Amino acid sequence: MAGEAEKKPALEMVQADGADEGCVTFVLHDEDHTLGNSLRYMIMKTVDVEFCGYTITHPSESKINFRIQTRGGLPATEPLRRGLTDLTDVCQHVLNTFEARVNEFKEKEEQPME
Amino acid sequence: MELLGGEFCDMTPQELAAPVNTVAVKGLVKQHIDSFNYFINVEIKKIMKANEKITSDADPMWYLKYLNIYVGMPDVEESFNVTRPVSPHECRLRDMTYSAPITVDIEYTRGSQRIIRNALPIGRMPIMLRSSNCVLTGKTPMEFSKLNECPLDPGGYFIVKGQEKVILIQEQLSKNRIIVEQDRKGAVGASVTSSTHEKKSRTNMIVKQGRFYLRHNTLSEDAPIAIIFKGMGVESDQEIVQMIGTEEHVMASFAPSLEECQKAQIFTQTQALRYLGNKVRRQRMWGGPKKTKMEEARELLASLILTHVPVKEFNFRAKCIYLAVMVRRVILAQGDNKVDDRDYYGNKRLELAGQLLSLLFEDLFKKFNSELKKIADQIIPKQRAAQFDVVKHMRQDQITNGMVNAISTIYRLYLIKLKVYFLKLLAVLLSSSAEVSFNSSSGNWSLKRFKMDRQGVTQVLSRLSFISALGMMTRISSQFEKTRKVSGPRSLQPSQWGMLCPSDTPEGEACGLVKNLALMTHITTDMEDGPIIKLAFNLGVEDVNLLCGEELSYPSVFLVFLNGNILGVIRDHHKLVSTFRLMRRAGFINEFVSISTNLTDRCVYISSDGGRLCRPYIIVKKGQPMVKNKHIEDLSQGYRTFEDFLHEGLVEYLDVNEENDCQIALYEHMINKDTTHLEIEPFTLLGVCAGLIPYPHHNQSPRNTYQCAMGKQAMGTIGYNQRNRIDTLMYLLAYPQRPMVKTKTIELIDFEKLPAGQNATVAVMSYSGYDIEDALVLNKASLDRGFGRCLVYKNTKCTLRRYTNQTFDKVMGPMLDAATRKPIWRHNILDADGICSPGERVENKQVLVNKSMPTVTQTPLEGSTQPGQPQYRDVPISYKGSTDSYIEKVMISSNAEDAFLIKILLRQTRRPEIGDKFSSRHGQKGAFFFSLS
Amino acid sequence: MAATMKNVDEIRNRVILGEFGVKNVHTSDFPGNYPGYDDAWDMHKFQKNFRIDVVHLDESSMEFDMVGMDAAIANAFRRILLAEVPTMAIEKVFIYNNTSIVQDEVLAHRLGLIPIKADPRLFEYRNTGEEAAEEEGSEIDTIQLQLKIKCSRNPRASKDSSDPRELYLNHMVYSKDIKWVPIGNQADVFADSIIGPVNDDILIAQLRPGQELDIIMHCVKGIGKDHAKFSPVATASYRLLPEITLMETVEGEKAERLKRCFSQGVIELEDVNGKKVAKVVNSRLDTCSREVLRHDDLKNVVKLGRLRDHFIFTVESTGILPPDVLVTEAIKVLMAKCQRFLNELDSDINEVK
Repeated sequence: MAGEAEKKPALEMVQADGADEGCVTFVLHDEDHTLGNSLRYMIMKTVDVEFCGYTITHPSESKINFRIQTRGGLPATEPLRRGLTDLTDVCQHVLNTFEARVNEFKEKEEQPME
Repeated sequence: MELLGGEFCDMTPQELAAPVNTVAVKGLVKQHIDSFNYFINVEIKKIMKANEKITSDADPMWYLKYLNIYVGMPDVEESFNVTRPVSPHECRLRDMTYSAPITVDIEYTRGSQRIIRNALPIGRMPIMLRSSNCVLTGKTPMEFSKLNECPLDPGGYFIVKGQEKVILIQEQLSKNRIIVEQDRKGAVGASVTSSTHEKKSRTNMIVKQGRFYLRHNTLSEDAPIAIIFKGMGVESDQEIVQMIGTEEHVMASFAPSLEECQKAQIFTQTQALRYLGNKVRRQRMWGGPKKTKMEEARELLASLILTHVPVKEFNFRAKCIYLAVMVRRVILAQGDNKVDDRDYYGNKRLELAGQLLSLLFEDLFKKFNSELKKIADQIIPKQRAAQFDVVKHMRQDQITNGMVNAISTIYRLYLIKLKVYFLKLLAVLLSSSAEVSFNSSSGNWSLKRFKMDRQGVTQVLSRLSFISALGMMTRISSQFEKTRKVSGPRSLQPSQWGMLCPSDTPEGEACGLVKNLALMTHITTDMEDGPIIKLAFNLGVEDVNLLCGEELSYPSVFLVFLNGNILGVIRDHHKLVSTFRLMRRAGFINEFVSISTNLTDRCVYISSDGGRLCRPYIIVKKGQPMVKNKHIEDLSQGYRTFEDFLHEGLVEYLDVNEENDCQIALYEHMINKDTTHLEIEPFTLLGVCAGLIPYPHHNQSPRNTYQCAMGKQAMGTIGYNQRNRIDTLMYLLAYPQRPMVKTKTIELIDFEKLPAGQNATVAVMSYSGYDIEDALVLNKASLDRGFGRCLVYKNTKCTLRRYTNQTFDKVMGPMLDAATRKPIWRHNILDADGICSPGERVENKQVLVNKSMPTVTQTPLEGSTQPGQPQYRDVPISYKGSTDSYIEKVMISSNAEDAFLIKILLRQTRRPEIGDKFSSRHGQKGAFFFSLS
Repeated sequence: MAATMKNVDEIRNRVILGEFGVKNVHTSDFPGNYPGYDDAWDMHKFQKNFRIDVVHLDESSMEFDMVGMDAAIANAFRRILLAEVPTMAIEKVFIYNNTSIVQDEVLAHRLGLIPIKADPRLFEYRNTGEEAAEEEGSEIDTIQLQLKIKCSRNPRASKDSSDPRELYLNHMVYSKDIKWVPIGNQADVFADSIIGPVNDDILIAQLRPGQELDIIMHCVKGIGKDHAKFSPVATASYRLLPEITLMETVEGEKAERLKRCFSQGVIELEDVNGKKVAKVVNSRLDTCSREVLRHDDLKNVVKLGRLRDHFIFTVESTGILPPDVLVTEAIKVLMAKCQRFLNELDSDINEVK
């Protein structure tokens, strides 16, 4: 897995001729609904995004086509980057919360024992 | 449960199914085994009796007489004249025939001495598995496992040259019965196919311009019926009419026929015989005393027309009456179109392995005898030092090969059979021996006439799954030509109820022609009719020979038939039938003898012949079923057996004709005052394959039919001995599962012990286009965990022969690479003995057996270079296949021809891949489209 | 206005279970969809609303509530748990001898599915690819296990016994018979953790006297996407919190019937002035069978819904790692995915520049 990623780029950008920077289809290799859907959610939450969607081209290919269209000439990479960072932040928050709550729970479990 | 109500309602379904259990378990292939047992124990002796004496034209003093004939237990010749018993599985593995010697006791003359020799082998008989002479009968499951045999295997098939062969059940129109039918132009006629041990013939009665004619293929043209009557000695027109019937319209219909006779100026028997003598088809004559035309005609009337009606000393009385009844039937049918139904199962007989083999044996035995006679004729006249000893000329291979070839090849049996029929006919005609050479130009008609060109009678037992093997044993193939575009024989017949499965039939060409037995159906074997005749006379039947003829048409009088022959007449047929049935229930007559009344024809039919379909029913008396709760309890606890039920008159077998004479309630609450019988279990109307469907009554009917075809393809287990088998192709499931939803049939046929398929959770939903047209999407994780994982076994064979010039095949060790001293890649998997070793992985083009063959295998010419080292040529057995296989096992043995036999079993494990088919048990199959991770 | 606001809130926050279908299944709170709502992403709002409650936790399974989260991300966590959290599993089986009835391939497959207790975080992925296939495993990426067992007759068995358990020794091969063979410094590194099958009682094969197995196995690190044997969970699932609202008071026989329409403990009857009145006690327990909608007189009395952003997660571990660790690992995997594309994005931009 790791070896392949080094050889091939994980991300490709496909743009129609004459289309502006705001309308881009990103090809995410070795990804599926897991990242696709959560990223789509995060990006759709952005005000300047007109459209965001993804599709699995065929179940036997392990890649997704991820389309972003923006308003007002905003480069499509911007919402993508923001989506990815937002998603990382969300994960970080979830992780922190989860670990905190698990520790709390474990402590609570230990108390009656003492 | 709810429907059963009454007495049964406090019982569990298991208890209710108990009686079925005992019948069905042995019943599925019982008919095959019974039929074969009857053949090797009874019929074969009758055939011997019928051909017991051989005499020679060369020496009137010389004779050979068979005293007895036996079929022994299956064995194999170890070395010269040393035999040992053989197990079926050994035969399968070693490509041998599971057969037993046929031995005879004979009495013959050598010179002036009379000699008796006992237990002289004349050939070998292939033995049906689980028949009376099979080593498996009466064995416990433990003993089965010692013989490498599956105790759940139904048996009923043969092993010929290592292959399992089934003789399918053949369906045909019953013999010796009058069938009145309409031809294409609407003219009514009657026909009888007569069949006795000695002769077989077909007699037709047709109506042309209101006149009756007899058509028979030994007569060059149709003979007016009145002339036939006169030829048989009934010279008075009045007597003829009396026999046929004196009702106004009957006489009116017959008058033109008499008139024709009048016109032909035939008044006496002599005149009639002379007339017929000119019509007899001329045949070439060899030997035998020359006969006049009249004698020929008389012979024809006595032994060829309606051969099944016995004629002793040219007493034609019974035959006249039979003919009269035929005429009367046609006349009565003409009016209100009461023709018989060819497709009705009461008019059908099923021919099983026993019957087919007995025909074959009869032919081979006759051939064997005529060969002996020929040898005697040739050798006796030559003066020799040693006296002629016939025993030295008895060769075993003729009968052995005949039997083996018939079962192993499909075609030849029937060609042989056809010849037999033809020769027999000629033989009778010429009253000489059957040494008439078969002439192809005149042979064709007999093919068509008897419609004997049957194909696919023997088939290789399908071992795709346990169900496919079981399903094959219950299969019935019909004689009708598949191309004929008539729907009658193909459609579901009401009389099929409970006897044949309504669902289990293939689609397409053979639809409705290939059928399957229902769960409880039994097929009768022939029975002795002497006691039945005696009983019938004692019950008030008046002998047909003592009648003047007019009684036949009295309205109050019923004709009594036994197996198609007229026995006599009876005044009180109700009494006859009820007493007869009482006697049968009490066990005085065989339980498979049937008696039924036909009110339209005013006849009582008694049948004891073989091939009738029948099934058991619970007897109901005074609105109460005879089988009570306590009986069922006894049965389930083993205090009583199903046989006890039969003997105690609680249950009886009814055949199709008798079924139509009874009032049968489906469930207990449906019993009314007229009810005579109660169905044992309604689900038994289905066969084995349809029995696997849960809730079949909730399905659309064709779905059940589809499922019946598909259930046989299911992958799973095929028998407890599956891992000991070396089959050409075998599919097994790695993790077969017992179905979670089961039917009673599934319990009965032990499907739970040898299951096919796996329980799966199924969602019926859309999935973005990958589910179109019955496509399936499978969960990849379940495939990873072993769902649908299967093992495919294939075999490779190799024989090492000895040749006439003292050379023989060799197996060489692996070839070593010169540099590395390691075997070359192609020989990588070979052991030091040159045969691949078990457990190895074989790739394409690798060698399995490194066999080499002498370049010269023929005897070298005299004077050419003698011995020295023979030259060898490599003929390796190599593996071909795009995917690698593993070697499961290697067997080294010898076959029947004493050649070395090496069998290699190859294995592949496969997980489901795109394109594989999966199905439910409801005729819903789908192709695996892709796996979802 | 208030009424419509309430309506829109319901569409945004509830999945409605109707008699013939489920309404409002999709997330729709995107900017611009609803006038008067600010749906743009706001980290602070998210952090304020987000909540996790651990309901149950033991060494093999856990249940927790995740509130204030969208299904897209919750589902990502679930999917990663099933298919992308790495574990160690038997990948290569070297069969030196197998005289048992089980075919080599089937035996190898069975061995592969046995969960192996070894912390995958301490191992590397083995190299895949053409030249790497021939490579021997090393101490950092491979665990070596051995199974060597032979069945024999039990000399102490009584003569008339027919019970295989008494007659034979070693006739059942269990996972406990698999032994760890440390490579390199593994014996020291993993001195305090025992490496081997998680469960002792997994039946691998049955033997009869004389049959034997002699097998070496290599375990490698992998993910469930490649093969289900690498999946660290027996099951990982979530469901939405059910919400049952009674629109009017239900009394007497109707209340009894209503109670029976739901899972046990969802609805209890209270005694109010001598009458039995139904009350929703714990909607969490409901299976959402919608049985109540089959009763004509009850179907308009209740409103069935599910909270769109309240996920009840159930994670059952195979025992290799504790379930809470699995969840944290899953979250980290998602973060790593994001990071991978962020890096790529940066390098892309660099290239363009």
